[in-house]
Amino acid sequence: MDILPLQAGDWAFVGTNWWILMQGLYVTVLLTVGSLLLGFLAGFPGGAIEVYGRGPLRSVVRGVGVLLRGTPIVVLIVLFFFGVPWPDIGAVPLGGLLPLPAFEINGQALLASTAALGLRSAAYQSQVFRGAIRSIDEGQLEAARSVGLSKLEAVRHVVVPQALRRSIPGFQNEFTIVLKDTSIAFAVGLAELLTRGFELFTQPAGQTAVVEIILTVSAIYFVLTFLTNRTLDRVENRFAIPTGESS
Amino acid sequence: MARLLAFDDVHQAFGDEDVLRGISVGMDRTDVEVVIGPSGSGKSTLLRCVNRLTEFDAGDIRLDGESVTAMDVDALRRRVGMVFQGFNLFAHRTARGNVTLGLTEVRDIPRGEARRIADENLARVGLSAQADSYPAELSGGQKQRVGIARALAMEPELLLFDEPTSALDPELIGEVLEVMRGLAEEGMTMLVVSHEMGFARSVADTVTFLDDGVVAERGPPEQLFEHPERDRTREFLGELDT
Amino acid sequence: MTDREGRGVDIGDLPGARRLVLVAVGVLFWGWLLARWLHDWVLAPDVTGAAAGALEWLAGGVEFAAFTAASMPALAAGAWITVYLTVLSILLGLVIAVPLAVARIYGGPVLRWIALSYTELIRGTPLLAQLFVLYFGLPTTRYIRDIPGVGEGVVPYAAIWVAVIGFTINSSAYQAEYIRSALQSVDPGQLVAARSVGLSRLEGIRYVVLPQGLRYAIPGWTNELVYLVKYSSLAAFITVPELFRAARNIGSDTFRVLDIYLVAALFYLSLVLTLSVAMRRFEAAVAIPGVGSASERE
Repeated sequence: MDILPLQAGDWAFVGTNWWILMQGLYVTVLLTVGSLLLGFLAGFPGGAIEVYGRGPLRSVVRGVGVLLRGTPIVVLIVLFFFGVPWPDIGAVPLGGLLPLPAFEINGQALLASTAALGLRSAAYQSQVFRGAIRSIDEGQLEAARSVGLSKLEAVRHVVVPQALRRSIPGFQNEFTIVLKDTSIAFAVGLAELLTRGFELFTQPAGQTAVVEIILTVSAIYFVLTFLTNRTLDRVENRFAIPTGESS
Repeated sequence: MARLLAFDDVHQAFGDEDVLRGISVGMDRTDVEVVIGPSGSGKSTLLRCVNRLTEFDAGDIRLDGESVTAMDVDALRRRVGMVFQGFNLFAHRTARGNVTLGLTEVRDIPRGEARRIADENLARVGLSAQADSYPAELSGGQKQRVGIARALAMEPELLLFDEPTSALDPELIGEVLEVMRGLAEEGMTMLVVSHEMGFARSVADTVTFLDDGVVAERGPPEQLFEHPERDRTREFLGELDT
Repeated sequence: MTDREGRGVDIGDLPGARRLVLVAVGVLFWGWLLARWLHDWVLAPDVTGAAAGALEWLAGGVEFAAFTAASMPALAAGAWITVYLTVLSILLGLVIAVPLAVARIYGGPVLRWIALSYTELIRGTPLLAQLFVLYFGLPTTRYIRDIPGVGEGVVPYAAIWVAVIGFTINSSAYQAEYIRSALQSVDPGQLVAARSVGLSRLEGIRYVVLPQGLRYAIPGWTNELVYLVKYSSLAAFITVPELFRAARNIGSDTFRVLDIYLVAALFYLSLVLTLSVAMRRFEAAVAIPGVGSASERE
């Protein structure tokens, strides 16, 4: 075998270029947070409409959900990139406030990727919320109605707080998916973590460090998913409704 | 003065199954009426028509002379409390939180005052020590007493009990019936669907035997239990004894 | 059952009223696609020439439809690769996933730890990064290329095999999680009962736990299949000319990027919706009263 995949010099290459990966990480985090937020803002009402809505509104929400869930994310990203007339915000400067060299990213690619990842996430989050809402016993709503709360009040004070708690595992799942899928913004050249890694190992100096670079990139994703999952576990325990079995 | 609650030829069907086939009964303030009857006789439906958790098809139910169908449904429910067979406590709120929700959101009572009222009503059902417990941390009997406190706090004119002890283990039934007995003595108007014949006998002013969607027999407990007029009533009571 | 191990939820159904139209569209889509694939294999242009002619006639001058019709053959070829990438990978993945899941539940500490690390590492990193490792990082391609027969005749060339390896590894980790949670939902008393009639532990797992557990796993497995169809599109970035890359190529040739991606989206949707329906049928077909979750759905 003439290739030794892991050589000291190649790790040194990763070391000297770590800030490039950190800039990528910055974009990845930005994209993840933005998409999840958009997904929540659109997905939560979406789920409620699927349970309580009726008529054309509900049909539309359902139909759009199926379309978003049935199409590969890479196709959604390119469709949003080429299909939506995004305002030309040019290059977006980033990173000034961190101990990182400031850098710029393609604003339209960022908008398109956030929209695609966010709306697709909304389609999945709506299913999580829908399931959580449906899992709340009908009697709870009846009890709320029988003390005189209107339907909307009953949903807001009794169903929503419980449904949100029950959504945490599903949301955890969704977070992991979105974080990993931000790497697919590679398709429109957005300078997120994996794209930055790709740029590194395709430049002449980096060509022997391919494995090292991708392993580093993968490790960063892994640590991120791991840490966030643990954090969300904590959140779940923190907000758990006492069950009386273990407290 | 109008009767507090009056049923006038109430009909209700689910699909092609007639559940209530012309119910006409009435009760006054401080009355305790217990409805008995075999399962499927329409007892729960009768109760749920009063606060319109079930909308009846025909006839009329009047609360203090006013047709419930003409009233705003939320206003109606503010005046008529309900205690459920399955408790239906809000799982995400403590015992106190279960009681305060209606106070703060429906009666617009400030939080501090709502807490005070809640604690007062929890004390009334003997649960002062459990105010901060979540429903899952309570026994069945305690849950049902929270359910009663929740309904009481709204200061209803009429309290509906839908088989309040049917979901309880036998040893927990007593504590709930005891609370209900106390309420009756305080003069609370109560319409109770129950299988507890001992309770009906000792607390009810009137017992209604509902069978197949009609009132088969109705009267003071001593009469209905000791000298039932109808064979069907006798048969039903006989089944219970064995 | 909240399933935090899974990749999310089933894509769901379109509102009922549109069923009939969808079935009609599905029949058209699949009729044409199968005819096209047949044409590609047996090289009988007359059969599909007529069909394509009819299609173009239907398009009746609507320019988008004409463009769509013109790009159909290339997309069909891509869709074929998408389909066999998916099928091969999920089946090979299943072969790895079953022992992996069994090791997670019934294995000793070492075996359990290995299985856990494997699934966590795979599920904690992006699929695209995994494909990059295999394609750009490791000399996988070279080794595969050296295997006699690769890239000749019907045997696909090296990049496709790299994709199959990547998807197999990735899918095995997810499938293992679905199967694990399904196996765990089988009543432990079943294994005890199996042991008490004299079966060995392994036999008990094989004859009693797996047949029940795998039925529980079908809904999750359907999700996985759907996911793989969609995520097979990532093979485009390691040069595999599957559906998405076929569309991308047409886009860069014709500069009608948006149109072609819309058509590609329709292709994927047709594949995915067809699969969902088919899997639901399958689930109903293998259902045993009291076992599996088909009856629990609304």
